[in-house]
Amino acid sequence: MANRVRVMPKKRNLELIMLLFGFGLYAFELAQVQLATIFILRPDAWFFWSLPVVAALAFHFVLRFRASDADPLILPITFLLNSLGIVIIYRLDLVKSLSAIDRTVGERQVIWTVVAIVLAALVLFLVKSHLSFRRYIYISMALGVVLLILPLLPVIGKTVSGAHLWVNLGPLSFQPGELAKIALTIFFAGYLTSRREALAVVGRKTLGLRIPPARELGPIVFIWLASLAVLVLQRDLGTSLLYFGLFLVLIYVATGRVFYVLVGLVMFIAGALVASRLMSYVGGRLDGWLDPLNEANYSAVGGSYQIVQSMFGLAHGGLFGTGLGGGLPSIVPLAQSDFIISATGEELGLVGLFAVLAMYMVLVSRALRIANAHADDFSKLLAVGLGFVIALQCFIVIGGVLRVVPLTGLTTPWLAAGGSSLVANWIIVALLLRLSDTLPKAGTVSE
Amino acid sequence: MSELALFIVRAGLLLVLWLFILSIIAIIRADLFSERVLSRVVEKNLPESVSSPTTGLTNVSDFSAAPGSATVVSTMNAVQTTLVVIDGPLQGLELVLDRKEIRIGRAPNSDFVIEDDYVSSQHARIQRNDDGWQIQDLNSTNGTYVDGQRIGAPVNITADMQIRIGKTIFELRG
Repeated sequence: MANRVRVMPKKRNLELIMLLFGFGLYAFELAQVQLATIFILRPDAWFFWSLPVVAALAFHFVLRFRASDADPLILPITFLLNSLGIVIIYRLDLVKSLSAIDRTVGERQVIWTVVAIVLAALVLFLVKSHLSFRRYIYISMALGVVLLILPLLPVIGKTVSGAHLWVNLGPLSFQPGELAKIALTIFFAGYLTSRREALAVVGRKTLGLRIPPARELGPIVFIWLASLAVLVLQRDLGTSLLYFGLFLVLIYVATGRVFYVLVGLVMFIAGALVASRLMSYVGGRLDGWLDPLNEANYSAVGGSYQIVQSMFGLAHGGLFGTGLGGGLPSIVPLAQSDFIISATGEELGLVGLFAVLAMYMVLVSRALRIANAHADDFSKLLAVGLGFVIALQCFIVIGGVLRVVPLTGLTTPWLAAGGSSLVANWIIVALLLRLSDTLPKAGTVSE
Repeated sequence: MSELALFIVRAGLLLVLWLFILSIIAIIRADLFSERVLSRVVEKNLPESVSSPTTGLTNVSDFSAAPGSATVVSTMNAVQTTLVVIDGPLQGLELVLDRKEIRIGRAPNSDFVIEDDYVSSQHARIQRNDDGWQIQDLNSTNGTYVDGQRIGAPVNITADMQIRIGKTIFELRG
């Protein structure tokens, strides 16, 4: 029978080869950082190398047994991005002027990487098929809303530089909003699967656009209000933009109506403009984006100082970069988290930055390919949604650092320091791997 | 470390980084290529292996497994007809028309499910009458076409009349 034929008979072996490649590259990067900054190879490189490598290998073997038909490229790419992030964070830790507590960010990142990979493996174990999520779409909506509200609660909520995004868990702090994006992706996918037909109803045609009946605009208005609430209450433009953008992408994929995207964009821009008048921090971001080198914007509180430092850093790096350990990325504020792309660009240059962007692109394209190969609407929408969570995060934060869009605080997936973001993005990887494992078997895909 | 050695290490890192990406692209390319070869094999095999196992599709084996269908089949053996998809995503699929009415549409409970944005949930139905088979459009958005003509009233169909629904073209074979 034709459906006994496998497209890629050695998927897991391919994955292992690419992972080994990644392990070697990781060792190379670590060695280069140590040689360029402290001029000797120190044994603590073993700590940085071995823990993530062992975790990734274990994850690979989990895949062999639990999801043997999963996509072979997702894990190696994710590992490479994650390890490159650790290398850059560790390299910034080695800057001597930092205080002792700031010099352990790399170690914490390694521990969080291991935790995140273990949790992702757990998700693969527990979730036999993503289709079971369909039964829980309203529960996942409630979960997402609760996770978003948690940081606003007294006692456990914690405010860092104006944004209410953190929750205190004893000595640890966690950003529940990172997990909310997975819950909300599941909800959006499930909700749009059932509402798809009603939303795609053909309405009047005006100016070449098909306008659906007014009542079908209900959901989009609701999500718009919710994301404005996130913007006002949590003071976080990036998260708000991520949720709203995700909903727009999914409603477009579900219905194929450009109208929703246009209306949504107009609504969001209008909302953000009003917010920029009313809330100084949004306005400051906008001014800093349009005219960063203006003296008034540069020296304002929350002004364009960060972004200008990052521009200088990127210019210093040029085409080929200063090499790992050769630049001065530490003078950019938040170089280990929000501005890690600036540190990457300075030390690896435009050529290296394009390599990083290419990896994100391949990852998102794999997600879209998984979506394309699935036959049912829910799987399609879920895979697109998960892929676009990655894509939108990259666009919002990398675009912000490179001054394509106004700067907003989001984490660069896998690269930036931060445990919650690592956990959430590794769980996204686990879900994508699960989705690719449950594809209709090779031979039934006729395209 | 000397300047030259440092330069080589730095250039080497970028080189290896891009080598990683190029090998990923090579794998994707091989993946796409092997799939194209495979789909040709599948197409060649499909007419013999009647039941195309695409999900969401009621195939021949589901038909015969339907409750009470065995009796229906025995009384209708004289005019057994197959529906053959000749173009579209389900190309090569054959359905044995072993019941009085076949509902076609995107709804998962249709007898013949076509996953296509141009197909309505309840798009059309094929019914058996005294002369043979008749197709009726169920007020679908994008219509049902028989030999290129959009149909309004039910139309009697015979073998080798091409019927188009969305991107799918099929015909009956006696």
